[in-house]
Amino acid sequence: MEKIITTLTHIISKLLNRDNILLSPETTAHDVDGWDSITNMLIINEVEKVYHIKFSFRDIAHMRNVGDLCGMIKEKTSSNS
Amino acid sequence: MILEAINQASRLWAQRTAMVIDGQSYSYSQLFSIVDQVYSKLANIDSGVIGIVSGNNIGTYASILAVLYAGKTYVILSPDFPEQRNREISRQAAIGHVITPSGLEPNNDATYYAPEPVATCANAYIIFTSGSTGHPKGVPISRANLDAFYQAYSQLGWKLDEHDRMLQMFKLTFDVSVVSFLYPLTLGASVYTVPDEGFKYANVLDVLDTYHITFAAVAPSVLRLSRPFFDRLLLPHLKYMVVTTEATEASLIADFKSCIPNAQVVNLYGPTECTIYCTAYFLPTQGSPKQHNGLLCIGRPLKGMKSLIIDENGKLANHDEKGELLMSGPQVMSGYLNDASKTQEAMTWIHGTRYYRTGDICYYDESGEIYCLGRKDMQVKIQGYRIDLGEIESRAKAYFMGKRNAVMVAVKCSGQLTELHLVVEGKPCDPVGVMHYLAMHVASYMMPKQVHFIDTFPLNANSKIDRNKIKEIIIS
Repeated sequence: MEKIITTLTHIISKLLNRDNILLSPETTAHDVDGWDSITNMLIINEVEKVYHIKFSFRDIAHMRNVGDLCGMIKEKTSSNS
Repeated sequence: MILEAINQASRLWAQRTAMVIDGQSYSYSQLFSIVDQVYSKLANIDSGVIGIVSGNNIGTYASILAVLYAGKTYVILSPDFPEQRNREISRQAAIGHVITPSGLEPNNDATYYAPEPVATCANAYIIFTSGSTGHPKGVPISRANLDAFYQAYSQLGWKLDEHDRMLQMFKLTFDVSVVSFLYPLTLGASVYTVPDEGFKYANVLDVLDTYHITFAAVAPSVLRLSRPFFDRLLLPHLKYMVVTTEATEASLIADFKSCIPNAQVVNLYGPTECTIYCTAYFLPTQGSPKQHNGLLCIGRPLKGMKSLIIDENGKLANHDEKGELLMSGPQVMSGYLNDASKTQEAMTWIHGTRYYRTGDICYYDESGEIYCLGRKDMQVKIQGYRIDLGEIESRAKAYFMGKRNAVMVAVKCSGQLTELHLVVEGKPCDPVGVMHYLAMHVASYMMPKQVHFIDTFPLNANSKIDRNKIKEIIIS
C-alpha cells in the first residue's frame, strides 16, 4: 500500500502542479486542492498508464478515497500478473 | 403548454418510472405526491418568487414542478455557491420564500397526478448568469418563452416515447437542466440524474452505461475528458447524443462515434436569454459534419425563431461574412431583471423586429446554416458554464480596493481544457487573500487556477491593456 501511495503522490503532484501533497488511505479528493471531477479523469488516466491497467467507469465512480484507489490498483495489477 | 403535457403524461403513466436518483426509482404518482405536498403549502404563500435550495434529490425536482404548477417563479439557490452570491441572487430576485426540499418523501397511499396549472403571467424561472459588473445577472424566462421553446423543441423530430431513459447531468442553476428534466416528463419517459457524490464526469459515464440511457444531452467537456476511455465505452442503447453548452470539435465526435453506434448526434446552441436552445444541427449519419476551424456547425434556428448576422457597422452580413448573431422570436426574454440599461445594450430593433444580440461572432454558409467563430466580448465557456471574465476581474479589483489592475485570462491546457488565471499588476504579494475573497463571491467554476503578478501591464497600439501579450507572458 505504501509503495502505491508514494507513486500516487508523485502522479497527483505532477498533474496538479503541487509539491506539498500528503496522501493517506483516508484522503479524499476534497482534502486535496485541485483534485476535482476534471483532474480526477486525468489522474485516473495517468494511473492506468503507469500500472498498465484499466478501470471500469463503475470502479471510478464508486471510488471514495485514496485507499479505494490503492485497493483497485492492487486488485487489477495482481489479476494482470 | 409544457405543464399541460406533463399533466397528461402523469395521468397516462402514473405507475411508470418518472425519475431515478442515486439508484432510487420514483413513479410519476410518487413524484406528484411530493409535488402535492409542496403545492398545498405554496397556496398559502403570497410571494410570487420562490427560492429552492437545490440538491440531487426528489424533493428538489418536485419543488420545481410545484412552483411552476402553482403559477409562481422559481430561482435556484445552490449550496455550491458562496453565501454572498446566494444572498445577492435572493435580493435581486426578491425571493419571498425559500424551500429546502431535502427530506421530502413520496406518499404511497394513493395515486397522484400533476395538478392543473394555475393561469398566470408570472415568469417560469429566473436563471442568474455571470455579469461583467461583478454581480450576477438575472435572466427571467416567462411561461410564454418556455412554452414557445417546448413547442419548437418537440418539433425537432425526436423519436422518443414513454419507454425512453433520459439523462439529466446539469446543475439546476444551468438552463439546460430545465429541458433535461421537464421534456422527458412530457413523454412519460424516465429521467436519470447524476449523483452529486464522487466525481461528476465518471458518474455521467457510469449512469449512461449502467442504465442503458437512450437520450443524453452532455457538455462536450464530458467527452473530452472521457477520450482516454473511449476504448472501453460502448453505448449501443443511446438513440440521441446532444452536445451543447459550448463549441464542440468535429474530431471529438468522430472519435466518439464508435462508442455510440446507434445514436444520432445533435449540436444544440442557445444563450440563456433565448430559452435554452435556439438553433439545432443534426449531424449526418454518413460522411463529415459541417464544421469551421474544426468546430461543429450550429445549424438553423428552431421553429418560430429568426436569426440575423450583422457586421461591425450594423449592416446585414452577406453569406460567408462574419458578424454578430442576432436572434428574435417568442423564446427571447423580455429583458434582464431590474436592469434596463443592460437590456437596452442587449436588444436591438431591426425593421420593426426586436432582436437579442448574442455576442457570438458567426457566419452563414451558402445553405443558410450558421457557424460560430467565438465571442466578441470577454465571455468564456468553461465546462459549459458561461463566465464573464469581467465579473471576476471586478471582484479582484475590489479586493485590492481599486488600487491594482487585474485581468483574467483563459488558457487552453491539455486535452482541450481551459483554465482561468488571474493576473494582477504590481509587486507580488500573498495570493491567498485574493483567492479567499474570490471564493466568497464567485462560483467555484469561476475560480482562477493560479494568480500571477506582472510589474506593469503591457499595452496595445490603442493604449489598452494587451490581454494577448499578458497571456503570452504567463504561458511562457
